[in-house]
Amino acid sequence: MKRYGWFLGLIFVFALVLPLLVGEFWIHVAVEILILGLFAVSFNMIFGYMGQLSFGHAAYYGVGAYVTGMLMVKAGVPLPICLAASMIGAGICAFIIGYFCVRLTGIYFAILTMAFGQMIYYIIFKWYSFTGGDDGLQGIIAPGLLFSANGYYYFTLFITVLALMVMWFISESPFGYTMRAIRDNADRTRFVGINVRRYMLINFVIAGMFAGLAGALWGPFNRSIAPDLTNWHQSGTPVFMTVIGGPFGFFGPMLGSVIYTFLFAFVTGFTEYWPLIIGLVIIFVVLFVPGGVLGFFESRMEGLRSRRSRSPKPEESTP
Amino acid sequence: MDLSLLMSQFLSGLSRGMMLFLIASGLSLIFGVMNILNFAHASLWLAGAYFCHSFWLLMEEYGFALWVSIPLAGLVMAGIGWFIEVVLIRRVYNRSLPEQLLLTYAMVLIIGDLIKISWGVEDRIIVRPPEVAGPVFFFGIPFDSYFIFVILVGVAVAIGLWLFLQKTRYGHIVRAAVFSREMVSALGIPIPRIYTGVFVMGIFIAGMAGAVQAPVGSITLGMDMAVIIQAFCVVVIGGFGSLLGTLVGSIIVGEIYAFSILYWPQGALVLIFVVTAIILIVRPWGLFGTPMRA
Repeated sequence: MKRYGWFLGLIFVFALVLPLLVGEFWIHVAVEILILGLFAVSFNMIFGYMGQLSFGHAAYYGVGAYVTGMLMVKAGVPLPICLAASMIGAGICAFIIGYFCVRLTGIYFAILTMAFGQMIYYIIFKWYSFTGGDDGLQGIIAPGLLFSANGYYYFTLFITVLALMVMWFISESPFGYTMRAIRDNADRTRFVGINVRRYMLINFVIAGMFAGLAGALWGPFNRSIAPDLTNWHQSGTPVFMTVIGGPFGFFGPMLGSVIYTFLFAFVTGFTEYWPLIIGLVIIFVVLFVPGGVLGFFESRMEGLRSRRSRSPKPEESTP
Repeated sequence: MDLSLLMSQFLSGLSRGMMLFLIASGLSLIFGVMNILNFAHASLWLAGAYFCHSFWLLMEEYGFALWVSIPLAGLVMAGIGWFIEVVLIRRVYNRSLPEQLLLTYAMVLIIGDLIKISWGVEDRIIVRPPEVAGPVFFFGIPFDSYFIFVILVGVAVAIGLWLFLQKTRYGHIVRAAVFSREMVSALGIPIPRIYTGVFVMGIFIAGMAGAVQAPVGSITLGMDMAVIIQAFCVVVIGGFGSLLGTLVGSIIVGEIYAFSILYWPQGALVLIFVVTAIILIVRPWGLFGTPMRA
């Protein structure tokens, strides 16, 4: 991944000058890409690195959104404090839920995360007096400089890049490699004396916290939130992005978010049948591009490189 | 709380449970045999309801319209199920669990939109024939006669499936496949054909269930989304691949809903997920399942 350093730098510079190049509509799209990308990368901490499919990841996203939304609307707390509170709130939720979920794997893990996610959805949906129920929460206005589209874009860019860096360091730390070991063979990892469940739980909480951060950023951007943010359709979004972009690379979900969100902005411009289009895209990717777009390009580049040098590269441990 | 209210609530819970059983039995069978969790099951169920409405509309002036439309809708859905199995599902037999889940999830989106394109966004209503329009009385308590019909269909399908699984050669093969696919395959039985058969049967039941559901209320886009999650809960509670478990799970979920609506309406759906989560934590293979594939 290190060899893409210059490429990432280029993208970052491009992201910095983007408001000079495009209009407000595409800045909104860019903010959406960043927020949903952060959400998807946090999901991939569980999916790509831990090897479990969480189908209730929107729960933490939604809890993050509601913590920030309610603190801002009801108590007027400044945004940075709200973001931290969202991470803590989502982290606590992820801890309680994860405590049970890490006992299961495979299909049972997926269904249990989904069941908990639906529980949170119905609690937010039905608890009118506290959360506003299905009316949602309106008037979440970002303060001062952040009110403009460009201002909020730069703020989101800053937070997202920071969060990505933290997650990148986590994934490259000994902890990150322990997660890969658990994914590849949980039994052997247990044999070398690692408390697999505890590690999985820590990872689950970290993933939940960053999903909460992404959710927190969504409220002031959209200026309102609704319980649908925690529903299971919303949990599908990071799964789609990750599978399109490629789960076997740190930036795969981010790339997936770019493709997904652009496609969404483009397709909804001329047809209401967005689900049909994205459904066909998903089926195409699952059947013909199993490693996602990133996986596809990486295997292509590997192919080119090995043909050029004629020397087989040592097996690389991509995440 | 008087007894008559409890009784009528129990019966409505039972009919709700039977409706879930009709959906979940196919879901459970498909997962038990093929190890594929079919997200699109309820979408096909909903398509069955729309087909039933179309057939009913064609024969509206005859008294038997609904009774012919229900099996007809099931047959059409069986054909569609066969097509889906051969074109899509067959390609992912050996893929990882997330890939299979995503494929069927994508089908949810596609089928949902295809229904929207074919039938539009307006709600559809089937007028019930006179036989099941009025209430029937149990011990002097009025009860919707159509719900009795739903319960009877559920019981009939349960008995039919049980007889099929216990008494026929094909049923024995299916049960053996739930237990060990490798062994069945080693005995020279073509596994893909078994898979296709099970999938088509599951979708046939789902399509018929949709048709049976159609006259209960109006047929609405998006109904499938709520139902599929509840069907998952049923299958989890009962245990994947177990017919008896699915039946018991359906009744549990139906009754939880019916009674919590009475005492704690906000919590009805939360409670279903709480029970599901508890079962998953304590006994992941469900009440009647066998602890096997993780």
